[in-house]
Amino acid sequence: MKTLACQHVNKVWTSPGGLSVRALKDVDLTVQRGEFVAILGPSGCGKSTLLELIAGLEPVSSGRIAFDGKPITGPEPGVVMVFQEHSLFPWLSVRDNVGFGLSVKGVPRGERATRVGRLLERVRLTKFAGHRPHQLSGGMKQRVAIARALVENPDFIMMDEPFAALDFQTRVLMQRFLLEVWLEFKPTIIFVTHHIDEAVLLADRVVVMSAGPGRVLAEIAVDLPRPRRMTDPGFNGYRAHLTDILEREVMRAYAQDGVEAVSHAA
Amino acid sequence: MEQTGTLDHTAAVEARPASVSLSWLATVLKAAAPWAVIIALWEWAAAAGWTGAVLFPPPSVFLRYAVESDFRVGFGNEAMTIPWAIVASALRVLAGLAIGFAAAIVTGILISASRTVSDFVLPVIRGLAPIAPIAWIPLGIVLFGIGNPTAVFVVFMGIYFILTISTVAAVKAVDERLIKTARSHGASRVQIWTRVIFPSILPQVFTMLRINFFAAWMAVLAAEMVGLKNGLGMMIILGREMFNTKLILLGMCMVGATGYFVDTLLVQIQRRILWWQPSP
Repeated sequence: MKTLACQHVNKVWTSPGGLSVRALKDVDLTVQRGEFVAILGPSGCGKSTLLELIAGLEPVSSGRIAFDGKPITGPEPGVVMVFQEHSLFPWLSVRDNVGFGLSVKGVPRGERATRVGRLLERVRLTKFAGHRPHQLSGGMKQRVAIARALVENPDFIMMDEPFAALDFQTRVLMQRFLLEVWLEFKPTIIFVTHHIDEAVLLADRVVVMSAGPGRVLAEIAVDLPRPRRMTDPGFNGYRAHLTDILEREVMRAYAQDGVEAVSHAA
Repeated sequence: MEQTGTLDHTAAVEARPASVSLSWLATVLKAAAPWAVIIALWEWAAAAGWTGAVLFPPPSVFLRYAVESDFRVGFGNEAMTIPWAIVASALRVLAGLAIGFAAAIVTGILISASRTVSDFVLPVIRGLAPIAPIAWIPLGIVLFGIGNPTAVFVVFMGIYFILTISTVAAVKAVDERLIKTARSHGASRVQIWTRVIFPSILPQVFTMLRINFFAAWMAVLAAEMVGLKNGLGMMIILGREMFNTKLILLGMCMVGATGYFVDTLLVQIQRRILWWQPSP
């Protein structure tokens, strides 16, 4: 249904003080429908910025982002964003958090209840429908956030380091959970992470980005059968390759000391 | 899916106290204990003749005075019952708080939403905020005469500006991720304000309301002392005019108790309505 194309995307942030930071430089990226793409890169490489641009939350400085050839002008229906743990509305119950998107779109109460109920069942949170976010564990909160995205039957789910705040065990469970719902609902997922293992474990394709300004350094298709395990023999090859690319990039950025990233606008 | 099932019991086991009424009683006893000690010392000192029972009568004396006078104070058209004095003062402050709170949130949101409003209104508010509530009393009497509107006006002026500034600060501090999440789910500009920003700022602004309640309470009493012909403030002034220290201390005791009660009420509102916040 929806193919995403980013062409020569540039983004420059300008602070009120006139300091401008080049966040993205000439990014080209194409994502096919149903694909699971991981964007991997060091901190401050503009991964999150890229997601926000694709989600239509921020305008591009130059270049073009289009779904099925149509350039975006704002938040696109069918493209939802999932952030880290603290993005649930603390004053809403689990049920109302999941139903938020439907509610702002004016979906009638009855239909909303049915769809939310079905999704809560699927993410095994039916018992917690009336709970508030502060009563949930980190993993449960993220399942609510994922359910909130899935309930709208989105074409695209943009995930900004969604599991970064979770402990190791919960993270492993959530990764498996995400793969299950991906196979079941078949949305296109763009998943930002700085964990190499997470990227290889989850994605069809890993896009490696450079440190500020963010550019696409490499795109690597992960040709491993699913379900994958970090102990698979093929896994190490990808891990080593990606580590190598990232390490070189981090050293290069360090040597350069970020001079290119920050410049004073006159 | 078996794996995620193990997450279920890691949290969400709310530890509600088994017996709520017992813990409530414990809270009351804990708050009353220090007062019991102070009153005991006071009574003992009075009984031992250390303080003049006339100049500084202990609770046993001024409370008996209240009972003996049938909970009535004053003469002629200044006469009132003590329960009515309490209700009058408490209602004035609550009305002022409610109106001030609502108006401050509306103003604060308008300032945050519009540059023009902000440029024009914010400097005015910042100039008026430092004026103590009590300082508005003379103006209130000139504008509204002697009566309830003046008392409500004084409370309103006492909290409105500070709560407006607090609202503006709270709007600035709203978690950017919540707004982005809402936008990506298709929320309109208005929906962002009503369904994300408004509930986000309520706890902080309400906390400011509680902090400023005491100043507002004092202002109402001062207004009652200087002009309004009833309420707890008037009771204290009557006591002074009649050189009746029992009445003065009775009034002060009621002022403290009522203020304490209203503050507790505000905490309860905070807990019931803004329950997603940790208990204050």
